[in-house]
Amino acid sequence: MAFRGKSPRFWLGRLIRNLLAWMAIAFALFPAAFVLGTSFDPAQNLRTARIVPAQPTFANYLYIFQERQEIHFPRWVINTVYVAGITAVVGVFLCALGAYSFSRFRFRGRRAGLLTILLVQMFPQTVGMVAIYLILQTVGRQIPWLGLNTHPGLILVYLGGAIGFNTWFMKGYFDTIPRSLEESALVDGATPFQAFWRIILPVARPILAVVFVVQFISVYSEYLLASLILKGSEKYTLSVGLQLFIGEAYNRRWGSFAAAAVLGAALILILFYALQSQIISGLTGGAVKE
Amino acid sequence: MFVMVVLPLVYTVYISFTNYATGNILSKSQVIELLTQRYFIPPNAPTFTFRPYGDESGIYALHLAGTAGEYVLFPDGRLFPAANHRFLDLDGDGIADELDGRRRLSLAELVRFVSRLQALAVPFGEGVIRLTTLSTMRVYSPQYHYDPTNDRLVDRQTGKEYWAKDGNFVSADGEKLDPGWVAFAGLANYLRFFRDPLYHQAFMRVFAWTVSWAVLTVVLSFALGLGLAVLLNDRHLRFRRLYRSLLIVPYAIPAFISILIWRGFFNVEVGLFNQFLGQAFGVKVPWLTTPFWARFACVLTNVWLTYPYMMLVSLGALQSIPEEMYEAAKVDGATGWQRFSRITFPLLLITVAPLLIGSFAFTFNNFTLIWLLTRGEPVVEIGSRAGATDILLSYAYKLAFMGGRGSEYNMTAALAVIIFVIVALISGISFSRTKALEEVSRGL
Repeated sequence: MAFRGKSPRFWLGRLIRNLLAWMAIAFALFPAAFVLGTSFDPAQNLRTARIVPAQPTFANYLYIFQERQEIHFPRWVINTVYVAGITAVVGVFLCALGAYSFSRFRFRGRRAGLLTILLVQMFPQTVGMVAIYLILQTVGRQIPWLGLNTHPGLILVYLGGAIGFNTWFMKGYFDTIPRSLEESALVDGATPFQAFWRIILPVARPILAVVFVVQFISVYSEYLLASLILKGSEKYTLSVGLQLFIGEAYNRRWGSFAAAAVLGAALILILFYALQSQIISGLTGGAVKE
Repeated sequence: MFVMVVLPLVYTVYISFTNYATGNILSKSQVIELLTQRYFIPPNAPTFTFRPYGDESGIYALHLAGTAGEYVLFPDGRLFPAANHRFLDLDGDGIADELDGRRRLSLAELVRFVSRLQALAVPFGEGVIRLTTLSTMRVYSPQYHYDPTNDRLVDRQTGKEYWAKDGNFVSADGEKLDPGWVAFAGLANYLRFFRDPLYHQAFMRVFAWTVSWAVLTVVLSFALGLGLAVLLNDRHLRFRRLYRSLLIVPYAIPAFISILIWRGFFNVEVGLFNQFLGQAFGVKVPWLTTPFWARFACVLTNVWLTYPYMMLVSLGALQSIPEEMYEAAKVDGATGWQRFSRITFPLLLITVAPLLIGSFAFTFNNFTLIWLLTRGEPVVEIGSRAGATDILLSYAYKLAFMGGRGSEYNMTAALAVIIFVIVALISGISFSRTKALEEVSRGL
């Protein structure tokens, strides 16, 4: 052992460090652990719910999967995955197109376009909520499926908010892909779009995955705009629905809320830890998670 | 992107310079049209008594008789002189029993079909004929006359004049007619945040809290995150990777879920914290219901949510500090604390500062946390919409969408522009202090 023969002072330091780390971990984990534990406790009151239930059951999980009035947990999850999924897929595609043109082609207004994207992106989209609300209201009068209280409307809003930064982010990656890759394809008679689709996109797969997941997670967690735009209980995303579900009912619905919270967080946790290193580099590179 | 980012920006700025709010959302021509279609009954208005004719399927026509003449009125609004129609008095009592071959309807039948008549407004002379009772109709006159040359409305009932001013028709004694229209308001909305006592106090309080909240969150979570980063950066510590993975759990859980969990913990009656504190010390802390503890809860929750980000950022920065600097310092006899405060911290700050500013801007507008945890409550001042924990963005949201006085879109937009400016200032400082802009221009 390398540590043999060290002074007591060294061991004390070692002990304190580990102790501190575990204290911090306890602080980090106790809410999640408590929710996980109580989700198996049939008690619906937060006061009586125990982290280690006396009689653990799956009752809460079964309960939230039953359709009932005003509470459509399965529907909320489907809505959320639908909105977040479409936003992320379309967003990645549009960002890739934009980033590719900004990275490879020299056209008039390129510089101005890039700067505009950067400047506009500094302003949080939520600040424009009144305008977004009124615009969707107006759009809805002409095109009902794109107005207030529609998922396509919400997706459109999210797309607007997400594309700017991610275009920048992707452009930086595309800049690092050597041009010779596509040039050989172009010499062989491929169109620029073919070169983009067949050569660049496969090479850029890691960055596409990161942008996809980061967008998926941020839409999944977005609350303000979703609560503003979606008005019917069956249209809600999880963030809006869950909030109304628990509302002031911590003494009546804790158990089912805990089960819903566990399931709601599980998908994101899995995604997050599966792609941990890439996501962290993406998020800490400048964007902040919602 | 253009539709949903640039357009809202421009539109927000536009609204902030208007009076767009409940009561002022129509255009001026719509308002004039609406007001000139309001009617009143002048004292000398002609009165008609009427009798309905028809069959089981509905009313065929009405026979109107009064000082202004005799008419036949069809339910679709057509009006003809009675002389053109055929009346038949079968029993000779002076009341026609048939009109154009249709029989007279009973009162019960009239009641059944009357709903169609209630909407009628048949032009007659200067005014319109309308139903007043089940047997009479009167001629209503338009209440307002619009005078385009002077841009004013004249009330024919009272003779009062209303002049078009700042989006409403206003009389000399200050009476406003509703509704108003969208009009340019200049800087009025902005000035109200600084002069109108109704908004000024709330605005200043909310602004102060927003700034202190963002500063507290960033400083505390950075301190905690940095401390943990230093701890984890120790190469002799075992299980570092495991510790790191566990410590970033708060970062991986969707925020809206963990905030709702924390809200439950803070619940005064059934929450975890008060259960524990009650058993251990017999105290009951009024979390979320008194300003101080509600603010405390906001900061605590946000520190929990934010420190993993700070830790990750600091870890990255720590690893980029070259080892030789520490060795040199050791040779010179620097203590552990000196090494940290003189080398680690200053070097770290250079890399981390822009991210701290970014985090500050994000916290500044972290609506989700405030809204899900406290809704901006508790109330600090009766009648004011801003609560103790409201940040600028949630205050703006309340002005537009939680109407005590209706939707004040104009005030929200003005507040949004103020937030724009603050964010722009923060970003500007962050850019000028770092080399980010140079990197950006190289990327162009």
